[in-house]
Amino acid sequence: MNANSAPLMHSTTTGKNAASENAAGFDWWLLLSAGALLYIGMMMITSASTQVGEVKLDNPFYYFSRHAVFMVLGLVAAVIVSRVKISWWFDSGWFLLFTSLALLIAVLVVGREVNGSTRWIRLGPVNIQPSEIAKIFLIGYLAGYLVRRQDEVRDSWWGFFKPIAVMFIAAILLLIEPDFGATVVIVAASLGMIFLSGAKLGKFLVLILVCLALGTLLIIWKPYRLKRLIAYTDPWADQFDTGYQLTQSLIAFGRGEWTGLGLGQSIQKLMFLPEAHTDFVYAIIAEEFGFIGAASVVVLFSVLVFRGMRIGANAEKAGQLYSALFAYGISLLIGIQAFINIGVNTGLLPTKGLTLPLVSYGGSSLVMSCIAIGILYRIDKESRWAKAAESADESRQTKSKYKRTAGPAIYG
Amino acid sequence: MLSQIIVQWRLWFVVAFLFCASVLLGARLLQLQVMQKDFLNEQGDARTVRYEDIRAHRGMITDRNGEPLAVSTAVETVWMNPKLYWKKLKAAADENPENYQLIRLATQKLAQALDVSEQSLLTRLRENETKGFIYLKRKLQPAIAQQVKDLKVPGVFNRREYMRYYPAGEVATHVLGFVNIDEKGQEGVELAYDEWLQGTPGQKKVLKDGSDNIIKDLALVREAEPGKNLKLTLDMRLQYLAYRELKAVVTAHQAKAGSVVMLDAKTGDILAMVNQPSYNPNNRKNINTASLRNRAVTDLFEPGSTMKPLTVAAALETGRYSPGTSINTSPGYLRIGRKNIRDHHDYGVIDVSSIVAKSSNVGTSKIALDITGDALWDMYYRLGFGQMVGIGFPGEGVGVLPHPVKWKPLQVATMSYGYGLNLTALQLAQSYQVLANDGIKKQAALVLRDTIPEGDFIMPAHVARDVRTMLGKVVAKGGTGTRAQVEAYDVGGKTGTVHSVGASGYEDSSYKALFAGIAPVENPAVVMVVVIVGPSGDEYYGGEVAAPVFSRVISGTMRLLNVKPDHMPAMAESEKRLQEILDNHKS
Repeated sequence: MNANSAPLMHSTTTGKNAASENAAGFDWWLLLSAGALLYIGMMMITSASTQVGEVKLDNPFYYFSRHAVFMVLGLVAAVIVSRVKISWWFDSGWFLLFTSLALLIAVLVVGREVNGSTRWIRLGPVNIQPSEIAKIFLIGYLAGYLVRRQDEVRDSWWGFFKPIAVMFIAAILLLIEPDFGATVVIVAASLGMIFLSGAKLGKFLVLILVCLALGTLLIIWKPYRLKRLIAYTDPWADQFDTGYQLTQSLIAFGRGEWTGLGLGQSIQKLMFLPEAHTDFVYAIIAEEFGFIGAASVVVLFSVLVFRGMRIGANAEKAGQLYSALFAYGISLLIGIQAFINIGVNTGLLPTKGLTLPLVSYGGSSLVMSCIAIGILYRIDKESRWAKAAESADESRQTKSKYKRTAGPAIYG
Repeated sequence: MLSQIIVQWRLWFVVAFLFCASVLLGARLLQLQVMQKDFLNEQGDARTVRYEDIRAHRGMITDRNGEPLAVSTAVETVWMNPKLYWKKLKAAADENPENYQLIRLATQKLAQALDVSEQSLLTRLRENETKGFIYLKRKLQPAIAQQVKDLKVPGVFNRREYMRYYPAGEVATHVLGFVNIDEKGQEGVELAYDEWLQGTPGQKKVLKDGSDNIIKDLALVREAEPGKNLKLTLDMRLQYLAYRELKAVVTAHQAKAGSVVMLDAKTGDILAMVNQPSYNPNNRKNINTASLRNRAVTDLFEPGSTMKPLTVAAALETGRYSPGTSINTSPGYLRIGRKNIRDHHDYGVIDVSSIVAKSSNVGTSKIALDITGDALWDMYYRLGFGQMVGIGFPGEGVGVLPHPVKWKPLQVATMSYGYGLNLTALQLAQSYQVLANDGIKKQAALVLRDTIPEGDFIMPAHVARDVRTMLGKVVAKGGTGTRAQVEAYDVGGKTGTVHSVGASGYEDSSYKALFAGIAPVENPAVVMVVVIVGPSGDEYYGGEVAAPVFSRVISGTMRLLNVKPDHMPAMAESEKRLQEILDNHKS
């Protein structure tokens, strides 16, 4: 099916971007939006955490300094990752899978319990959050599987079921922690990848229904999830207990109005809104910079995700199918997590312990977000190189031939 | 081919899906930040905007010369939120053992700074663990409060308060009274003029953070109106002097109590008003209630012989008596019904002047019976007995001045020498002020007046002058009050010694020694009443116990007030010598 649509797409972009997307270039929009988000994160964490650091740890710059260290680590990691060939990820599928599962099991065995969840492994001075690592690694693994077994996935139920079974195991491990938020993000991103990989729509619909049914079961099974779900529908009904965090967050949005109170002027961060520097940093952005600031962050994420998807599409055109799926997966991961986090902050979704990628305080999240950007950058570069090589080939052979095929496609 | 795997529409579908998600978020932002902002701001304000009282500075009380008597100084009160403390301690114990130790250490130091044992502090915090507010220590010196604050014990806060301080201590405390810990007047002038002094607290609108700290002053709702200052008529120099002498005599005679009241003869201003026993208003830990009373104003007593000059004034006013009128007091007693009225001696036939000088009960009774009880009562009433003086002091005594439908002779007689009625030291001083001011009563006052009232006519000036002359003779050689004499000044006064009234009537061995006097007697500057209750020992007569107090206080008072001496041989001598030196120098 659609046998003639691919050349159409292929030639269109090649024709347009042959000049701008040369081998030396890179995706400015991607790096700019990611950089802007990192910068906003740094600034807002400093603003939101001075009071809580002062009160809890007697050091107003505790969170700032730690975040700064992690940012340096993240940037270094991103640079290193951008030097790793994508083929390495492709070849290391099993390694990625087993590392993820091993970490997710390890956290259940040796992890630290905080607020009833076991999500962190203490490693010297830092706490590692395996779910953050697992997210990227599992996406990397899944992309590989979908490429390797593309025919199997599309044609047989068994082939379709196998990768899903693997993700299902990871999801169960995450739910044991419990980390419902990470589960949702990883499952949703996986579904998106399976969809983009060309799975049959019928099968896909069945899968969606199964996921929804399981999700519903999970919510009913654990009463606290149901309580949270109910709390978010009307936070004001129980504003001093289950609805407390959300009402405080909503107040932050309301107070921000159009232009915000100004940097550092947030009131909600002053021991009203819990987790103001981590999961609810977006509410503080909205309070200090108003609708304009909050909407800007949404726009930045949209740009980032759109560029990520575009990098995937370009890789696809360059024939790098694994890179394409990996890029889609990563973009979806970032996009969905950002959407859920902002949704939670604004009361659109029930409360979950999810960070805002690149922005929130949290070492594992920050470093892995940087690595994700590093991978996208690498995919972008490799597709550019491939394109450059291809067009060099073409121009070396016959330019006229290329033009002939391209011509009718553009105008016809 | 790739194209066979990833179909373009699927990509667009996903991108469109994500785009819709962003639009949804944007719409939600608009809804929250624009449409619901009023509701959300209201909710936010309900959690953060608070109204705080601004305490008004209580007015200062000063004496007539502006000397501060009661002043409010800024102090710090340390309060605590025990709930927060235990929460923080528990959190530290769970997460940060080092921090836990620091908090424990700081708590220990806090107990030290507050001068309590650590154990009792912890017990108190434990008992109040569900509360969000307890006072740790009120009214600490700012320096100590700062030390406490620097310990950074979780849940400990400071608050600015005012403390009332009385520089004059026990000397003026009965007049001033005191305030409670919230600066509400409890006694004395502090109570009587509470509204005037306290002012109105203001209110400000503030923003508080989640730990109850003020982060921002939003608006001043109402400015605190500081209390107004109050200037009393007291002259602290005289007050100190009177207090010193009273305390000395009460101690020397081991008396139960005592009072001195001094009025300005021309204006009625209360220049001094002191009592024993007294107390230190700045440290009221161990006071007993007996020492709290401003006895000069609240305590009633029978005035005894100090009434005789007033009885004589009533007689002179009739015109039928003059200072020289002779009265036969023989045989030294007067039998009325079954009761004998006695003198110390049989004075024989003496004039009215001598009746006062010798303090003859018989003579006074005879005069009173002659002019009738109504005339006597009328004079007493006009002088203010049986009525409040009206200085606005809490618990001011009224006294009893009986007015029977039909006077019995014995009642008239005893009333003429000061029994069967009672009054306060202030009332007695007020009546002598009339004598001192040529018959014009100027109402006594404790708060300095802008204009002195014209006064009320009570008796003709010549009557008042005649009585004053008689008072001078009481103090002169041969009178009962010789120990009231003051060097260089001619003073006058009347002694009194009365049996105290106990549970079973008059007590034989318990007396009140009284002296009411005027100085100088010719051109009076001050009027003074001395009451010594229950002097024990050999001396108990007014002339022996109370008169010396008058002498000593008046002697100092005359100098302090720059009153011209009536005679000063020493000065005349030195002037003469100066003249001689000057003369020698010239020649």
